[in-house]
Amino acid sequence: MPTAPYDQVRTLYRTILVFATVGVLILIIGLVEFVHFEPPGQASGAKARIVGVYVFDPATGTTSGSDESQFAHTQQFAAVVDWSSLPGGIEVDARWYDAFGDVVGRAGPGTPEQLAGHQVVPVVVPSGFHHSLPGSYTFVVERLQDGIPVEVLARRIVLVQRA
Amino acid sequence: MRNLTTPPAANPHPRLRPSRYGIAIAVAAVVVVALVASSFLNYVYLDTIPGRASLYGLLAVALIALGTYILVRAFSRDRAMRRKHLIRAGVLIGLGVLLWLLLIDVFVFTQSAGPGVAAICVLVCLPTTGFGLLVVRRMDRNEKEPWRLVLVAAAWGAIVATSLVIWGETIWEATAQRSLVPGPGLDASTAFMAGVLEELAKGSAVVLLFLVMRDEFDDVVDGIVYGAAVGLGFNFMESVTYMTNLYAIFQPEGIGGYAAGFQWYARQVLGLFFGHATYTAFIGAGIGIARQLPSVRQKGFAIASGFIVAIAAHFSWDAWLTFFPIESNVFGLVEIHLRTLIMTGPFTAAIIALLIFGVRFEGQNLLDQLRKEAADGRGAILPDEVTVLASPWQRLKQRLRSLNHGGPREYLATARLQSAQLDLAMERWHRERKEIDTPLDAEEQLRLRVIDLRPRTAP
Repeated sequence: MPTAPYDQVRTLYRTILVFATVGVLILIIGLVEFVHFEPPGQASGAKARIVGVYVFDPATGTTSGSDESQFAHTQQFAAVVDWSSLPGGIEVDARWYDAFGDVVGRAGPGTPEQLAGHQVVPVVVPSGFHHSLPGSYTFVVERLQDGIPVEVLARRIVLVQRA
Repeated sequence: MRNLTTPPAANPHPRLRPSRYGIAIAVAAVVVVALVASSFLNYVYLDTIPGRASLYGLLAVALIALGTYILVRAFSRDRAMRRKHLIRAGVLIGLGVLLWLLLIDVFVFTQSAGPGVAAICVLVCLPTTGFGLLVVRRMDRNEKEPWRLVLVAAAWGAIVATSLVIWGETIWEATAQRSLVPGPGLDASTAFMAGVLEELAKGSAVVLLFLVMRDEFDDVVDGIVYGAAVGLGFNFMESVTYMTNLYAIFQPEGIGGYAAGFQWYARQVLGLFFGHATYTAFIGAGIGIARQLPSVRQKGFAIASGFIVAIAAHFSWDAWLTFFPIESNVFGLVEIHLRTLIMTGPFTAAIIALLIFGVRFEGQNLLDQLRKEAADGRGAILPDEVTVLASPWQRLKQRLRSLNHGGPREYLATARLQSAQLDLAMERWHRERKEIDTPLDAEEQLRLRVIDLRPRTAP
């Protein structure tokens, strides 16, 4: 077996520098992705009003009770949005996200005028499940630009308890 | 400069205690301050269950930190003192582990899934993590790292690193959830958080090992072994956390066991090496390469490179996982494996390439030093032994011959002799490259140790 040349460490050094260059490129792509979906300077000044989050009856499509921030996993619930609080002509939608980041309820997209009849936005129980999964749920009213959400106009976080 | 140490060191330094100990103390102090600050921040501002565990767990972390320090230093003391220090270290680590597990059980797992489920999750993750550590340690074919250090690395990953990231991730997630638009932007933010905070927390363990245990941290191969061990420890604790949490979430639907079982497979089988072990192995590789570089500037670049690759690899998995959706049918099972192979496979292949190169490089240089030592004729390595010592298979065959000849006692004696001879060759290699600051008589002591061990083995 031949004796190792002294500078083989340099080969390792250069290799890890090449890997690091690839790593920097990956992180730059990630940064570009972040800026694309979270573009700076998007504050329109508009604010949506979330009236509250209530127990929801899917049979009648109505809400009841008082505004709550915690629910049992056996309860169904929905957010009520006052679309008239928004200026006309902008493209908006409302979404529920579960703890895994999946969309589990939605209204829109459309203008506030078009969504006036969709004030109640319920969380939909995933197919194959009996109840909503426990965890933190986020409700957002978003302003869209070219179909992509660029600004959150209102936000509510509620907790679905395990027991 | 050379006259400042007596006897002279290979890489002379003004004092016998190298400056790296100062750096190690500074890193350890930063870690402790971060732990204390995070615990109080969590408790005061978040008041979450992990926050309470973090606060009450400070004593456990301190006991483990002190115990591991005494443990790793015990082996550089003389035999009389070593036993005393090992007992002290064992008591401290034992107390710390028990206290920590108690806290984890009470505050985290038992509240989400109950103590029974938590215990089962721990038990099913232990064999797979143990297997991972066994494989990782065996990757160093020329000179295996001591189990005590591999286990210390894994324990750091499981206990200290996970504690370090709790506060940062909780605050980052809470802030992002309340300020960013949900979707890919938020996913990217969360991925940056996990990549940066978790790799820094895990990497600090490898940095400390590099600074404090230089004798056992020889090159890129050792760095990969220690880095992967830290990653496996982190993966163990993360697996238990996810399994218990998902069990609690899905159990009301009657599928808690399936959810926990899937997490176990994804993290402890499929992702055992394709995940945290790969990421943190890059940090170890960077530090291992830095170990053998001459200039401080190059050392800095190598270490930073290791961290960058680790963070990028971790980020790419967390951020772009959703771009590979899994169908809910039989083909989904294939997709899960393909996703891991496509997303993490290239990084794992890259670290394996570094490992193979490192093992070959190390092997060639050990052979060179074995030949030189044999040529010196001082009796520590005989000319006939060179080819055996240079080959892991030949060494194994020699040990098995000893086993047949004199039973387990002779097998162990031969193993100790081989290990001491390889330690001597490694010491010579580092001295030739001026990579060590221990005095020359350390090499002579290794030589005397080999000569002392030789009569205990069969001729």
